[in-house]
Amino acid sequence: MALNRPIPVSLFFTCLADAFYPDVCFATVAVLERFGAEVRVPLSQTCCGQPAFNSGNRKEAGKMARKFLQAFAGEGYIVTPSGSCASMVKNEYPALFRDEPTMVALASFAGERTYELSQFLVDVLGVTDPQSSFRGKVTYHDSCHLRRGLGVFEAPRKLLRSIPGVNLVEMEDSDRCCGFGGVFSIKYPHISCRMAEDKIERILATGAQFVTSGDIGCLMNIGGMISRSGYPVKPIHLAQILAGNFEVPS
Amino acid sequence: MEPVGRKEELLRRIAVALRGHEAIKSASGATAGREAALSVADRIARFRNMFESQGGNFLAGPSLDPLLPELGEALRISGVTALFSPRGDERARLVAETLVPFGPFRLASPGEIRQLSAPSSAGFQTAEFAIAETGTIVQSGQKGKTLLPGLISDVHVAILSPAAFVDRMEECLAALSEDLPRTISFITGPSRTGDIEQTLTIGAHGPKKVIAVLLP
Amino acid sequence: MEPLSRFFYRRSEKALSDATLQASISRTTGKFVGARADAVAAFPGFETARDEGSRIKRETLDRLDHHLGRFIDEAERRGAVIHAARDGAEAREIATRIAKEEGVTLAVKSKSMVGEEVDLTGALEAAGVEVVESDLGEFIVQLAGETPSHIIAPAVHKTREQVSKLFVEKLGEPYTDKIPELVAIARRRLREKFLSAGMGVSGANFLCADTGSIALVTNEGNGRMGTTLPRVHLVVAGIEKVIPRLSDLPVFLRLLPRSATGQPISTYVSVLTGVKRPEDPEGPEKLHIILLDNGRSGILKGKYRDILKCIRCGACLNICPVYQSVGGHAYGWTYPGPIGSVLTPLMTGLAEGVPLANASTLCGACADVCPVKIPIPGLLLELRADERDRGLKDPAEVFGMKGYAAVMSRAGILEALERIAGVISSVFLKEGKAPWLPFRFSGWTDRRDFPAPAPQPFRKLWKKQRGIRPWNR
Repeated sequence: MALNRPIPVSLFFTCLADAFYPDVCFATVAVLERFGAEVRVPLSQTCCGQPAFNSGNRKEAGKMARKFLQAFAGEGYIVTPSGSCASMVKNEYPALFRDEPTMVALASFAGERTYELSQFLVDVLGVTDPQSSFRGKVTYHDSCHLRRGLGVFEAPRKLLRSIPGVNLVEMEDSDRCCGFGGVFSIKYPHISCRMAEDKIERILATGAQFVTSGDIGCLMNIGGMISRSGYPVKPIHLAQILAGNFEVPS
Repeated sequence: MEPVGRKEELLRRIAVALRGHEAIKSASGATAGREAALSVADRIARFRNMFESQGGNFLAGPSLDPLLPELGEALRISGVTALFSPRGDERARLVAETLVPFGPFRLASPGEIRQLSAPSSAGFQTAEFAIAETGTIVQSGQKGKTLLPGLISDVHVAILSPAAFVDRMEECLAALSEDLPRTISFITGPSRTGDIEQTLTIGAHGPKKVIAVLLP
Repeated sequence: MEPLSRFFYRRSEKALSDATLQASISRTTGKFVGARADAVAAFPGFETARDEGSRIKRETLDRLDHHLGRFIDEAERRGAVIHAARDGAEAREIATRIAKEEGVTLAVKSKSMVGEEVDLTGALEAAGVEVVESDLGEFIVQLAGETPSHIIAPAVHKTREQVSKLFVEKLGEPYTDKIPELVAIARRRLREKFLSAGMGVSGANFLCADTGSIALVTNEGNGRMGTTLPRVHLVVAGIEKVIPRLSDLPVFLRLLPRSATGQPISTYVSVLTGVKRPEDPEGPEKLHIILLDNGRSGILKGKYRDILKCIRCGACLNICPVYQSVGGHAYGWTYPGPIGSVLTPLMTGLAEGVPLANASTLCGACADVCPVKIPIPGLLLELRADERDRGLKDPAEVFGMKGYAAVMSRAGILEALERIAGVISSVFLKEGKAPWLPFRFSGWTDRRDFPAPAPQPFRKLWKKQRGIRPWNR
């Protein structure tokens, strides 16, 4: 269902995916291009500033937010494979710049154009079938900021359900926090791990082969615990399931 | 004792705190979605459903007589031996008196029931309102009424008439506001606690059983 | 109550390793969360009630001087004596003076969080008054010499066996592990206290300004007994408990029990107005109301005003995955959970309480269930920002943040660092994971792996694949 005119999309690939999960970025590009987006990658982007903002370090967060707004100046959609990063731009930038009216305007303009991947595919591009070859039993973890911050619940499920090879099984309390919380996971690792264990218990109860999510932070946390303890489930980003088999450049 | 602490100072402190930080105007005027008023029969049915689902016992009949065996049995199995009703509540007194032959009962005075050594008791009282929305009985201290039957007895028997039923708490508060009593007691089912292991247990401090008796 | 919130880290570690505590927390919160969800689902008007309750509370706070003034006038007109307490010490002093002047030797107390906040029981006991906690949970906690661990279920951390042992040791009752028998013991023991107490002490769930009424909500019936039978009734309430009208009460009674225990309404709601009148057969002859500030007027001043909307239902505690993990005592002061993580720093000092504000993933579950729509995560963020502004942050964190912001200021610097990390990663890290992290990050890898940096970052790979286009600045 490629559209006639290409839709301009700037990829907000996020600092975590950039440094740790380039595959997720390429998968995101592959899915977007599959549905007619003309993907641009502003290479001057770095980090949206969320870790600084969430830990109360607003001066630093402000610097990074300014940097972000410069990198994504202009028009067209801003799409990211991370719900919490999208929520940062949409929901927190206006608060961060509350004493600077021009910055608030800039931030709101960026915020209005910013979407998480599954939200963009379903709400903007009207995708009903992601045309993915992925196969497996999958359970979906709702990231807090995607679910509550952006109100996205159905979109990823709709996409997953329409992949013929995917068997989507819901876990109990799918929107219960996994315990990542950015700086929280460093300041209170024992509580963070406890929450991750509670999450993994619910994931394992589904018998799924894969746990997926629309947030890189959650997957890093859940995945880190799976990797250490050798649980029989594989973390995979939603974008990678939607992309299916595609060529990753080496 | 005279009031301690300067109220005026407290209010001034609050006023100063608010100065320059006044309201962001909130969106106004949304009132809770009111449903259309229920018919009396619907009101009673709804009350009964809510009341019973919260542990209350509900009895209704065309007159008192056919209800007496069941009411007597309910009190007997709760171990009740003493029945009392407050002075001036003729309707409740009549129910209590008529019930005496239907179990091992005798009439007692509220003064006797207040004693720690009092036998297991049932307190009879006409309730002023029954709220359909929540299955709640309302006993107030209006015009010198006592609250003891619903407070210290082991079984509380609330006598209701069809006119007592209202849809919502608002109506009952509005009616009582004209001459606001010292106490309004909203009672929904028996006294309960979940304080040990979150296990619902009946009969913490108030009545262990609440029986609503609807008479025409 | 002496705050211990600065020791949250250590206390939370202890809580996590206490198996009995863990079992009771998960049982309690699980039951409460389920019951609340069912009650909300069964009541279609809940969202409308939430909007209305939230609006009323906010508008009341915005003109609190007016509404509290009205309450004082109306309550006094009906025979109450109103006292204003600036802080806990004043509240304790006023309460002990009342007890002394009224000649009280035995008082029965209903559950009151404000009572806990200022340690009213301790003060009265120190003045020679026997104070009996009449809420069963509080009674248990009092016998154990502890403090409540949940704002609506104070003894959630105790098992029935522990309760029974307490009753054997402190009351000389025979051992039983049957809950109904334990409840019957408490009923009997407390009934004699209700009948002989000279004073009933309670908090207030709501203060109605237009009538000077006090609304009290309980399930056990202790609130009614303690405010009907004794000769004196002493109320201690925070100034934020005011609502403008008695007719506003129903909306809050639709919200509070559903949010707290999942009941459509609590078993007992008492609306108490003034003192016993000549025609009344019972009721207190004296009614003293202590209105407690204790920092609330300061909170009213600024960006934290919304926290004073709280109606103390406990829903945010039950839903919070952090509370579910560590329980109430770890928080170290009167108010635990998300609500406590905001109130404690504001009321006991930022340095004391800010560890609580940091102990949240900002998941937002609390704001989702709050019956008066308090934006708790937003307030936690403000506290963290204040921590930085007031110079209370760990210097290592500030240093780290500055370094991180410096790296992120230029994509070129970031890419250079990413490529160095990539090389280290390819040489040293096996299977794409880092088993340990240095410095303050070390806790992360205690029980988790950290991902190894990719050999080349996405931005590098992208340039290789697609070349540098004009828009790829």
